[in-house]
Amino acid sequence: MSEENATRKLTIARAMAEAIAQEMRVDERVFVMGEDIAALGGVFGNTRGLADEFGTTRIRDTPISETAFMGAATGAAMDGMRPVVELMFVDFMGVCFDAIYNCMAKNVYFSGGTFKVPVVLMTSTGGGYSDAGQHSQCLYGSFAHLPGMKVVSPSNAHDAKGLMTAAIRDDNPVVFMYHKGLQGMGWLGTEPAAIVPVPEESYTTPIGQASVVREGTDVTIVGLAMGVHHGLRAADQLAERGVSAEVLDLRSLVPLDREAILRSVAKTGRLIVVDEDYRSYGVTGEIIATVAEHDLGLLKANPQRVAYPDVPIPFSRPLEQYCLPNADKIVAAFDAMGG
Amino acid sequence: MDIKVPDDLWEGDAEGVLTAWLFDTGAKVSEGAIVAEVMTDKVQYEVTAPTGGTLHISAELDALVRRGDVIGSIDAG
Repeated sequence: MSEENATRKLTIARAMAEAIAQEMRVDERVFVMGEDIAALGGVFGNTRGLADEFGTTRIRDTPISETAFMGAATGAAMDGMRPVVELMFVDFMGVCFDAIYNCMAKNVYFSGGTFKVPVVLMTSTGGGYSDAGQHSQCLYGSFAHLPGMKVVSPSNAHDAKGLMTAAIRDDNPVVFMYHKGLQGMGWLGTEPAAIVPVPEESYTTPIGQASVVREGTDVTIVGLAMGVHHGLRAADQLAERGVSAEVLDLRSLVPLDREAILRSVAKTGRLIVVDEDYRSYGVTGEIIATVAEHDLGLLKANPQRVAYPDVPIPFSRPLEQYCLPNADKIVAAFDAMGG
Repeated sequence: MDIKVPDDLWEGDAEGVLTAWLFDTGAKVSEGAIVAEVMTDKVQYEVTAPTGGTLHISAELDALVRRGDVIGSIDAG
């Protein structure tokens, strides 16, 4: 590796495109389809350059009919292809969810394993830039709840490339949920910590494996995607007060790395879960239940969750910012635990 | 040699935002390497290294930039 490559950084958007391109070069079954993913390169930049290299037969713009192209991707996968299909905003799942959860997720099971369904469904999540309640949701829990699909969501470009490569090579449907605020697109906010060194060569990040992104001894902050960055900022604030916070990046929701959660909580005895998805019936409850079912004795204090309240996401910037998780809310959650 | 937001990167006097540096100060870059991204009106543009050498960053992330602005330099030494 040259010196230049060793220090090269990528945005998550570029990392996703690089992973897809590298797999397309070695596997002609891989193709991409979705809205505005060819000439435009995706509204979130994650297919930039692919149409130039591979042409519009393998990088296919679709009509605005998620129902049709999600079904087409499922069928193509069952017929031996390895489609990467983009649902531009995860909020749009409503019009194509039959194809996703009744077909894509279940056809391996219904066919007794005769058919594999190696689809990668990549979809944008998250708000924070006043795009209101139909373009700002995360819906992590909705996808993770339904059996038959793996679900991943990276917090940085290194994991984004490795998870995308792993997702394309996986014989199961993988839902790749990327947070708009981490894409390196200025109008969606900039998170510098998501832009990290990324090796040029192809590699995989194992699906189902969490990562300790900051070690600590007093409290475990569990999150994914943007929640990891809120957690890291909270850990900085807590450190100024002499509190040592460990931050765990889940990276995958399905399979969930429950051992990593238990290992960390066994060490710290305190648990805060951060999630930009809705609070009730979701990721935060599942993480806390994982610990509670295993051994309540691990906990020195009641676990806390910092999640999106159970309301539609407001258009108004002050109202949306009021609702979103942030580092201050995590620190307040720590204080609420008592000593 | 200065790294500038190219004069022909977009039309008009709109301000852009520096959304990414793809190398740190001190990194060795080769001529033509994409070193930064600048966005305006929801369009993202690439800024490439005008020559090979050691990168020095002078404009931070989220800085507002106009066409022709100097955002860094390359020491060819």
